[in-house]
Amino acid sequence: MTQDSQDHALELTVEQTTPMPLSGSLRCEAGELTALVGPSGAGKTSMLRVMAGLMRPRQGRVRVGTDVWLDTERGLFLPPQDRRVGLVFQHYALMPHLSALENVALPLAHLPRTERLKTAATWLDRVQLGGELIQRRPSGLSGGQQQRVAVARALAREPKLLLLDEPFSAVDQMNRRALYQLLAELRQSLNVPIVLVTHDLNEARLLADRLVVMDGGTVLQQGTPQFVHRSPRNARVADLVGIHNRFRGIWEGPGDKPGRGRLRWLVSGDQPTDSDPVLEVIDKGRIRVGQEVTWMLPGDAFELLEGASAHGQADEFAATISDVRHLGETTLATLRLRAGPGAALSISVSGADQRRVVSGTPVAVRLDLAMVHVMPKHPHERLRS
Amino acid sequence: MDWQALWLSIELAAVTLLVLLPMGLALGRWLATTTVAWRAWIEALVMLPLVLPPTVLGYYMLVSLGGSSPVGRWLAENVGLQLTFNFAGLVLASVVFNIPFIVQPIQRAFEAIPRDLGEAAAVSGLGFWQQLRRVELPLAWPGILSAMVLTFVHTLGEFGVVLMMGGNIPGETKTIAIAIYDRTQAFDLAGANRMALFLVLLSLCAVAASFFASGRLVRRR
Repeated sequence: MTQDSQDHALELTVEQTTPMPLSGSLRCEAGELTALVGPSGAGKTSMLRVMAGLMRPRQGRVRVGTDVWLDTERGLFLPPQDRRVGLVFQHYALMPHLSALENVALPLAHLPRTERLKTAATWLDRVQLGGELIQRRPSGLSGGQQQRVAVARALAREPKLLLLDEPFSAVDQMNRRALYQLLAELRQSLNVPIVLVTHDLNEARLLADRLVVMDGGTVLQQGTPQFVHRSPRNARVADLVGIHNRFRGIWEGPGDKPGRGRLRWLVSGDQPTDSDPVLEVIDKGRIRVGQEVTWMLPGDAFELLEGASAHGQADEFAATISDVRHLGETTLATLRLRAGPGAALSISVSGADQRRVVSGTPVAVRLDLAMVHVMPKHPHERLRS
Repeated sequence: MDWQALWLSIELAAVTLLVLLPMGLALGRWLATTTVAWRAWIEALVMLPLVLPPTVLGYYMLVSLGGSSPVGRWLAENVGLQLTFNFAGLVLASVVFNIPFIVQPIQRAFEAIPRDLGEAAAVSGLGFWQQLRRVELPLAWPGILSAMVLTFVHTLGEFGVVLMMGGNIPGETKTIAIAIYDRTQAFDLAGANRMALFLVLLSLCAVAASFFASGRLVRRR
């Protein structure tokens, strides 16, 4: 991290319980893209509104670089007009009575008219919109073009912080790709913090340097997409980031090897039985003995073995393939382990193995137990069967 | 045709509109955006002239502002202003009577502006007056236009409250609606008919023109 990027970073802390719960803190470096993810009503857009100055929380602090925009302790609240923030609204919020050019010229009110329109045209050119299109009103533009106008308007503000509220929700796949590209370019050239709200996890993983997972108005976890996916803090986060291979178990304490622990996999029901397999997994020392846990396995942490029978190793299981869906380069399927009804693994296969994935086929599978991540069980959690 | 009465009516309508427009804009916009709990009471008060018989309104204005009322006496003694049976009183009555006609359409027009447009303007750095001038007024304009036309036409045809407050003084308070009544009472049906027909055509044209104009404005988006 350079000194320069630190100087322009966004730091936000919010704490309130009324009129709606909203709490958490986050930091986004300049040139970095942070994605706020979570279900509808998780508070993602509210966080964005706090950053933009459209919402004033009971307690909180917003700082971008050396500028403090909000500090409730000092009674400081800058209105959006004084914040130099670029915001791309979910439905773009373009002025229907103004042309694309005039819309982009809106934040340039401080310039004389001719210069204003010239500068606006430059910004539109930057998002690859030109010709007679820029004289049209929003109603005469396609969804993708409207979105470009919205991005250009946000950029014309020369923002110190760029915010995007579900910007991709209303455009088709082709426009979406073009906009991913544009966003990647902007990230390089702007050198300001960028915060993106999305409910699409693939989009978040594709674009973001950091994920901030929210639910019920609270920030549950943040980190790189890889980190959050490999090590969700709890079952709710795993649920929210779309990890399907979650199972129940009982933590039985240290294993035979140092640094390993014994995890009894509850494959047949709520109560442990002797036939439930015991897995030797990495012990991070966070779970007490006898505690009920949720554990997860990434969709690629397994290996299909030659032949159809397991060899009696603790990490090998006999299974049957079902629910096969071929999606071109990858194939999705479910492995139903014979160990018990609670042991069904969603897998994604690519390459030569794809040919072996046929519904009803018996196979042997080795699980990569080093990839197992164990979490405390969430009190309200219900697992998919 | 009583041209003097017609001209007086047009003059009254124009002055009423001139007084009401700024007030209607301020009140209409405020009602469209406010969240105060007693907003419903203000809205009810604004609607009151619409549901009261004009004679009731005229009666209360007459007794509260007339020469023998405390307000009327105070105005006469200190400002030298008399508000009954003259043009000024007529204007006051028209203003009160037309409040719902100007405020309601303007309020609806401001309410119809999506909230995120105002927020987008704020995030773009536009202050209150810039927002009003460049975003809200252009978007609310069809509603404002129809409110203006409605108020103007409605004042032209107003009868009860004018008669109560102004009486029937030619050149001072005798508007075209009262002239029509006058002619009918005098069995001059041809004269009444001419004026009535003229009023019907004028009102129809004004309302149609406002619909045409606002339709065009909306289509241009």
